[in-house]
Amino acid sequence: MTRHDELGTDIAIVGSGGAGLMCALHAARAAPELRIAVVSKGAVGRSGCTRMVQGGFNAVLDPGDSIERHFMDTLEGGKFLNDQELAWTLVGDAPRVIHELETVVGCFFDRDEHGRIRQKAFAGQAFDRTVHRGDLTGIEIMGRLRDQMFRIRPVELEDVRALDLVLDGDGEVAGVTTLDVRTGAFGVLRARVVVMATGGAATMYRIASPAREKTGDGVAMCYRVGLPLRDMEMMQFHPTGLLAGESRMTGAVLEEGLRGAGAYLRNAHGERYMERYDPERMERSTRDLVARASYSEIMKGRGTPEGGVTIDISHLGAEEVERRFAGMVARTRQIGSDLAREPVVVSPTAHYHMGGAIIDRDCRTRIPGLLVAGEDAGGVHGANRLGGNGVADSTVYGARAGDTAAALAPERPLGRPDPAQADASFRRALEPLRREDGIAPFGLTRRLKDAMWEGCGVVRDRVGLIEASRQLDELEAALDTVAVPGPVASNYSWQEALDLRNQLTVARAVLAAALAREESRGAHFRSDFPAADNERWLRYVVVERDEDGMPRVDTAPVDLSRAAPPAETAA
Amino acid sequence: MNDDERGTRLKRAAADVGGAAERLPHGRPGAGTVRVTVARSASDSTRTFEVRRHEPMMVLDLLLAIQREHDPSIGFRFSCRVAMCGTCTLRLDGTTVLACQTPVPVDRDAVVLEPMAGLPVVRDLIVDTTAFWEQWARVTPYLVPVEGLDEPARLPQGSPERELIDPSLDCITCGACYSSCGIADAGRDFLGPAALNRAMVLIADSRDDAAEQRLNAISAAGGIDRCHYIYGCTAACPKGLDPAGAIRRLRRWRRTGVPEPRVAPGGPASDALAPTGETPEELA
Repeated sequence: MTRHDELGTDIAIVGSGGAGLMCALHAARAAPELRIAVVSKGAVGRSGCTRMVQGGFNAVLDPGDSIERHFMDTLEGGKFLNDQELAWTLVGDAPRVIHELETVVGCFFDRDEHGRIRQKAFAGQAFDRTVHRGDLTGIEIMGRLRDQMFRIRPVELEDVRALDLVLDGDGEVAGVTTLDVRTGAFGVLRARVVVMATGGAATMYRIASPAREKTGDGVAMCYRVGLPLRDMEMMQFHPTGLLAGESRMTGAVLEEGLRGAGAYLRNAHGERYMERYDPERMERSTRDLVARASYSEIMKGRGTPEGGVTIDISHLGAEEVERRFAGMVARTRQIGSDLAREPVVVSPTAHYHMGGAIIDRDCRTRIPGLLVAGEDAGGVHGANRLGGNGVADSTVYGARAGDTAAALAPERPLGRPDPAQADASFRRALEPLRREDGIAPFGLTRRLKDAMWEGCGVVRDRVGLIEASRQLDELEAALDTVAVPGPVASNYSWQEALDLRNQLTVARAVLAAALAREESRGAHFRSDFPAADNERWLRYVVVERDEDGMPRVDTAPVDLSRAAPPAETAA
Repeated sequence: MNDDERGTRLKRAAADVGGAAERLPHGRPGAGTVRVTVARSASDSTRTFEVRRHEPMMVLDLLLAIQREHDPSIGFRFSCRVAMCGTCTLRLDGTTVLACQTPVPVDRDAVVLEPMAGLPVVRDLIVDTTAFWEQWARVTPYLVPVEGLDEPARLPQGSPERELIDPSLDCITCGACYSSCGIADAGRDFLGPAALNRAMVLIADSRDDAAEQRLNAISAAGGIDRCHYIYGCTAACPKGLDPAGAIRRLRRWRRTGVPEPRVAPGGPASDALAPTGETPEELA
């Protein structure tokens, strides 16, 4: 058996973003006597993407608004692929969670002159319901949630990555294997309940917005122990990611509010090309449509030399732009451009994964004791997520996972992980470190990003998807030759190799689902099947791991339990 | 804080990173290389690298280039790369900065990168931030809600309380102020600028019921009296906050008491904090 430490806890939470920390907070409040451990690959409360939320949080607070309207906006945005019970729960809980974030967690949100929360307009919504704090909403929410940890004092396993879920002899969850990034020490964290809340996998694309930690770890771990995944083909591209050459800034989002405020998108010929794609809404159209329009312009040779289009809001006047979009102006100036005074080059950027593990409204999965919350779960957003529903999802479902975990933990024994599973997990993680000669992981990561961008990006077809699958075969084979020289402690090349393994696992599932869905819906656009097909495809794609470790694809009908789509739903 | 003030603050932050002053060609490879010297933990590690320039190029891009093209074992950390996570803090030629939002100086052909000051090094540019967080924890950094408040944050945007608090939020706990503070660096017991800024915000927050406890914490040994107003913290803050100003305000409050309006326990905040039409001196 590989040397390792062992630790026991009642509730193990993997991930420390909005979902993970809300989960900890709720579990601690529901059952203060329970021991909680938060496992975080990066700094607790400062990794992942809730932190990076600019726009805000959709919640029904105004008497003129209604839960039903928010629900219908969410379904229409999701092209009716959503799990309706999950979407209903999201919109129903959101007002309560906003209230809790203020009164218990201590967040400040922008308010109007009467003291009421100021809600702003976001694309695809029938009411101004996006709660925010300037354009740094995520910092406020995550900063305050992080502070709450000093009150409830969970065990913080910071800079510790979860490697694999481990089950007991009965197939129930028993804990996770871990690797301490700082020291290189392995561990087994035994638990009564495990909550998976690591965030999505959009970083598998060449141009991508998320933080570095988001390499699909949670979904990959769930998949490896046999959980079914849904909607994996649904990867959201935000239309306006920065292009900054080789700089890591490339892919960082320029916020949605720019288009709302009247920014123009133009191709290299200076044409406002949205006229051809959505003449009525123009730049204010939904994320999926705008991203696809920009992508088409670039692919048809009407892009800028950098491979993008331009966003221009300078007609509002430099002072006005600086006042309203200070953070975005600063971001562009940093890369030698100036949003306040000139067009800025942008491209669609991979942003958010709607797909993930299948859960019920209490975050339970098919495996007893294993809960999933936030971006690791699928079904809430269907085929396309509305701006402002992301942080709502992570906090609403994080809170629910915490409540469920607190109720469940006392009923369950402390997990007894199968030692063979744990040891296999350690040995697999050690492979790249033990290899004497081999290639560095970085080139492979880049190849994965290129393969997914080109073969499974904004616009897809069968030929491209099959080519991307072939490249994934090569990359998987190459992964077995990766070597990471250096120490076991703080060796980020080693971490990259481990990240890459999870990214490849998730990429496989994305490709399999994208091949299966022979129609276009929301974020999934097939140029060989360009129309939505409600007759055949009001179904969600389920991907599961077969005996050989390869994805097995099935479909199931969407349960239209609360609302049916209008007769003609556009793609 | 209203949009204007926020705009001014962020404009200042943008100007500080030099982006506005030096217009760089967009996305094109820059000329030549830059010599990067990195403080390494192991004595046998390579310390100096000739890194190919590209434009735009942040200090973080230098480190990623070293990791990918020169020495994969180099230790540094980052997460969001857009100045929100606060984990890539280091010193560039002695000045504490966020690696992700600091362009590689175009007018220098050599730079020195060191870990932030005042905290023990884990490896290379990675530090152990435990001490920073221990100080943070000492000011009771979380809201202790006043009992019985229905909607306690019902504070008009332009109210004196919000005007006071808003400019001091957005701390990303990057520790740049801590690293730049000669006293936090030298003495292990100083609470440091970030924790004191947080204390000031919560003491001003009428939803909170632990002001007295915090005033005691900041008045005790290692508290506000250790500050000598070097202003390193305010100069270093990548978010344009003013921790030195927060410390000055805390000293004033210790002398004069915390200014009203603060909410009466149990009472609705909206009543207690109805705009008075004037800003009390102490709130300014």
